Amino acid sequence: MSGLLLMAPALLLLLAVFVWPLLDYAWLSLQAQSVFTGLEQVPVGTLNWQRLLADGRFWQDAWQTLRFAVVSVALELVAGLAIALLLHQRWRGRGVARSLALLPWALPTTVMALGWRWIFNDPYGPINGLLQLLGLATVPFLAAPELAWLATVVADVWKTTPFVALLLLAGLQMIPHDLYEAFALEGGTPWQGLWRITVPLLRPYIFIVLLFRLAQALGVFDLIAVLTGGGPASSTESLAVYAYLNAMRFLDFGYSATVMLGMFLLLLAGAAALLLWRRHTEVRA
Amino acid sequence: MRGRLAAIGLGLTLALAIGLLSWAWARPAAVVRVLMPAPFADATADLVAAFNGRHRDVRIAVTRGPFETDAVSDLAISSLLLGDSPYDLLLMDVTWTAKYAAAGWLQPLDPWLGAEALEPLVSGARAGNRIDGRLYRLPLVADMGLLYWRTDLMEAPPRTPDELVAISRRLQEQGRVRWGYVWQGRQYEGLSCVFLELIAGFGGHWGPTAQASGEQGFGLAGPAAARAAGWLQQLVREGISPQAVANFAEPEALQSFEAGEAAFLRNWPYAWQELQREGSAVAGKVGIATMVAEPGEPHAATQGSWGFSLLTGTPHPEAAVQVLQALTGDASQRQLVTRYGYTPTLTALFDDPELVAERPLLPQLRQALEQAVLRPLNPGYAQLSDILQRQLSALITGRGDPALAMARAGRESDLLLRASGQGLAPRPQEVSP
Repeated sequence: MSGLLLMAPALLLLLAVFVWPLLDYAWLSLQAQSVFTGLEQVPVGTLNWQRLLADGRFWQDAWQTLRFAVVSVALELVAGLAIALLLHQRWRGRGVARSLALLPWALPTTVMALGWRWIFNDPYGPINGLLQLLGLATVPFLAAPELAWLATVVADVWKTTPFVALLLLAGLQMIPHDLYEAFALEGGTPWQGLWRITVPLLRPYIFIVLLFRLAQALGVFDLIAVLTGGGPASSTESLAVYAYLNAMRFLDFGYSATVMLGMFLLLLAGAAALLLWRRHTEVRA
Repeated sequence: MRGRLAAIGLGLTLALAIGLLSWAWARPAAVVRVLMPAPFADATADLVAAFNGRHRDVRIAVTRGPFETDAVSDLAISSLLLGDSPYDLLLMDVTWTAKYAAAGWLQPLDPWLGAEALEPLVSGARAGNRIDGRLYRLPLVADMGLLYWRTDLMEAPPRTPDELVAISRRLQEQGRVRWGYVWQGRQYEGLSCVFLELIAGFGGHWGPTAQASGEQGFGLAGPAAARAAGWLQQLVREGISPQAVANFAEPEALQSFEAGEAAFLRNWPYAWQELQREGSAVAGKVGIATMVAEPGEPHAATQGSWGFSLLTGTPHPEAAVQVLQALTGDASQRQLVTRYGYTPTLTALFDDPELVAERPLLPQLRQALEQAVLRPLNPGYAQLSDILQRQLSALITGRGDPALAMARAGRESDLLLRASGQGLAPRPQEVSP
């Protein structure tokens, strides 16, 4: 009983900031509340949900968001692990390198997105400047649908790899060094050591990284809003951008809530899959 | 000693009384709070200061909003949604009016300004201020789409789409310019503005007129929309416009033209000053014209003006209207024209020989303004525009067929209007207006 009492503040906070808005959104998704209703709520049953299921744009954006999240998080994991391993070694200047490596993470997303918009500029950006210097044709990075989404991935990887590296570096420091010494004595190579010792022992940290980063990447908004605005031809639009458009541009709050909830349900499914995967691997280990 | 104390006491009391009196006397009866985008807040700063110096009963407090149009809209909407608006007047883009009015955030100006409020304006600046017969805004400055052309590369600007392509191709083959025509092709509102001018030039119309005549597809199902969209696609496909135009907003297009890379540019009047400044490769070599059109069709200019609207929640509408009139008045507009290069809306200013001597562009701007076309005045405009932009953006990046894409945009527009209860079919359900 006293345990419950001690937990009450935390529970109340959770209720207030998590459960209540969710219920509010669920309620809103059953209403028509838009500029066409004079912003009054009109109950429409499951009309918004029917529209969501039939809305090609929602599913296109869902696919694009998933593609963005999976590809960028996978790249961040690989690059982050490499950087973490490097920063874990003892070498001169490591302290400086550790601080420098964190810089992209410290930069506000909108600022760095503006920077990348300039870097990818055709023809005045530095990349295209270099291409022209080499006598090559310029590349319309942000004007071609098949390139623009990769541009968003590159910007995201640049920005969040330091975060991944930081978490993994913390994990590396928890691995006792004598494990590697014993492994070396038995004749193991460093490469084998990486796969037999480092990665298995880092697994809980990798799991946390995946959880944080996937949740963040699936909700991506500011990077895309600034870098491409969702274009060209909506090829980089994420679900969060679509929900924002519905609420703030179209003043269609009922449908925007439905899009947000739809996104939440997809996220929930993803998180459940990740948890199952962890349980599965834990049993095996 | 006692005398001195008494003197100090008397002095203090007097000072207090004078302070209180002057506070009561100088206390502003009404503070009119105005939200403006940063460039306008800066351009009107001394006008506001002068107003505040002249008036004791009314004071203006300006909130300097963000630079970007969309960011200003976000700020305004977020604060209006909270109910109690922190502003009395809002400086708004012409496309917001219908949406804000339908949301119930604006109050009509007719009771204060009367039926003749728009009489002093040139005809091109009068449209877009009334919704359902009620006056919801008074324009501060006019704005319209222009075709900039290079006077050193040709005798006269092209008047038809074919001429523009022919001149571009010739100049490109001669190696005198890299690109023929640069414009706004990014998936955003600017693309709708580009298209609005072209659909008119190909003999069509986007929006209400078409809807009223019973035509399906919000004007997009007809041949004019397909030809206008097809022309834009052709420009990119044939290299008249760079592929990068699909990510161009106004600054990018201006940059390319200013560097001397292109023969033609579509932009707003503000670009003129930018192109004449030091460091511009085309200073003194630029002319303006209206957009190209098929023979016999109108050379349209998309209207894009900013104007003041009165918010519903204002506690002192009279004072707010007084400020609105002062800021949109003759003296105020004159200063915005001479000092900041804006385009006025008042006929008197266009006719003023002194002003014309200082701004030789004014007669041409007035001509363009007479050709102004309005984007659909619909509460759902943002969404209708978004539907169009999506299809156009796909076409420009080389995907799809113009006729099919425009037909799809037309169907989606019809669907939206029907779902909102203002479409062609009978209302599916009654919603409060």
